Amino acid sequence: MTGRATFRHLFAAATFIALGVYWTQAGYFGHEILAEIAVFAILAMSLDLIAGYAGLVSLGHAALFGTGAYLFAFFSVVLGWPVGLSMVAATAATGVIACVVGAVVTRVHGIFFIMITLAIGEMGHEFFFKNRTLGGDDGFAGIERLDLTWIGLDLNTPATFSMTLIVVALAIYLALNRLIASPFGAVLHGLHDNTTRMRALGLPVRRYQTSAFALSGTIAAFAGTLTAQHTMFISPKLLHWTLSGEVLVMVILGGLGTLAGPVVGAAALVFLRHELSDMTQYWGFWLGLFLVLIVMGGRNGIIGWAEWAWRKLPGGDRRAPAGEGPQGEGREAADAAR
Amino acid sequence: MLSDGGFWIVQILNSLQLAMLLFLLSVGLTVIFGLMNFVNLAHGSLYAAGALIGYSVTMWTGSVWWAYLLAPVAVMALGWALYGLVIDRMRKAGPMNQVLVTFGLIFVLMDVQRYIWGTDQVGVQNAPFSGSIEILGQIYPEYRLFIIAVGLGVFALLYLALEYTRLGAEVRAGVDDAETASCLGVNVERTFLIVFLIGCALAGLAGAVALPAFSAEAGMGIAILIPTLVVVVVGGLGSLTGALAGSLLIATTLTFGQVFLPKFAGILMYALLVVILLVRPQGLFPARS
Repeated sequence: MTGRATFRHLFAAATFIALGVYWTQAGYFGHEILAEIAVFAILAMSLDLIAGYAGLVSLGHAALFGTGAYLFAFFSVVLGWPVGLSMVAATAATGVIACVVGAVVTRVHGIFFIMITLAIGEMGHEFFFKNRTLGGDDGFAGIERLDLTWIGLDLNTPATFSMTLIVVALAIYLALNRLIASPFGAVLHGLHDNTTRMRALGLPVRRYQTSAFALSGTIAAFAGTLTAQHTMFISPKLLHWTLSGEVLVMVILGGLGTLAGPVVGAAALVFLRHELSDMTQYWGFWLGLFLVLIVMGGRNGIIGWAEWAWRKLPGGDRRAPAGEGPQGEGREAADAAR
Repeated sequence: MLSDGGFWIVQILNSLQLAMLLFLLSVGLTVIFGLMNFVNLAHGSLYAAGALIGYSVTMWTGSVWWAYLLAPVAVMALGWALYGLVIDRMRKAGPMNQVLVTFGLIFVLMDVQRYIWGTDQVGVQNAPFSGSIEILGQIYPEYRLFIIAVGLGVFALLYLALEYTRLGAEVRAGVDDAETASCLGVNVERTFLIVFLIGCALAGLAGAVALPAFSAEAGMGIAILIPTLVVVVVGGLGSLTGALAGSLLIATTLTFGQVFLPKFAGILMYALLVVILLVRPQGLFPARS
């Protein structure tokens, strides 16, 4: 795995460096885009943890993201708690919700898993849509950002805010990489490849799936508290299933089952959306077409195409070391089949 | 209010009318689901296409009857194009990739519709049955009764076709066990395509029939998609009776939920789906025994 893993690390490093370089050149609008990319990169990585590694494709992920944002707003604005405490409380509370939901939804599989996560997510959407205390369908404004002036960071300037979020995204990327390399990560890989065999090996499959779901939901909720501070306004749209779909698109676009993929995918999708929406009001058409072609292309998103191109480059044999080649291909085909 | 017979009649008719629209949409989806194991999220977009094409046809010809005839045909042609370009190739790709590809198609179809018909709501005036009748002292629009009649008529036709024609037998065999049916000489691929096209035509018909009662707009397919998916799973994949029962159940839940618990109507529907998935994941009337 070393050759491929190194390539992906380099790919992620290149993406983060590119974001950093863009940050030095960007103006107000650019910094806003960067903050959005960082939030969605975190969200997409958390979805990839269950969809790509554990094989649990959720269409309700945005609901956990939105619940994090709403609980954060509730704690910090309605109850008047300090911002930092509200972030921790909202993330932890949503994590508990995700644990309960995970214990329920992992009882069903395949397309039914997609449907049940969609249904539970939409229940959350309905709840905040109808909840007048938190603004209902009008949304909820007046959210404040974390005060970090005591270490010299004024988060109310877009440049500082976006750089902080990029650093947070990088930290989460590194932490998740450690997790994937751990025995827990190995179990997730195993669940993705062959659940039956893992069960035969005596693993408490559902307990692991539930833990992965809970962890993923916790990270999503944390991303929610960040997006609430970024836009300082939240609406039930944050919980809608179409947003879950978009995040899934980011994961697929970048490369499923790789942590670098979601980061690349989030950057590409947010950029594309802003660029295309400047050029044409029908950007959804191009985005949808792009998605259809990427999925039908059969390779594992941008990372998959980059790895393919790297191997095809002339000069020297860049095929993966022995023992990995055909197996790796098979793995990719299996990924595509899911 | 509760002791008033007219109130109950009106709410029951409203439920029936919504159920029939959901039925027209879900019957195509459920058979595609059950027969081909294919999840088509773009099915709602076909419904929107039916309504919008029906609008244009009504504007050209001056009669909604032409819309009822031509919109299903046009949507069927659209479905055929989608089948050839995308869906046939994604048949073996697994639910996740199917969800993603058809999710992409939603955006493509919505923007095509916005490009052609604009973003405003459009409606037609000169629909048939535009009068109202009185039921137990309540005024009720005749057109909604017409929608109920269309839905029941389609159910009866499909039921007869499924039980008494050769194609119907092939469909039942295909849902039950596609491999064995294929070994016994059934051209399963051809059956798939025909069933898919009929499903598209019914989605188009649902759109055209809904047009005079509600207005049409690009994107109306996204809102109806989720209740339709819920109907399909609750009723049981691939089952005609299941689609009807699921439609009635979901429409009643939505309509009466809206009246008695306006805050929780949507939540009730999703809760129903979650309970069904946990307690009886094969649905109420599974096609495979």
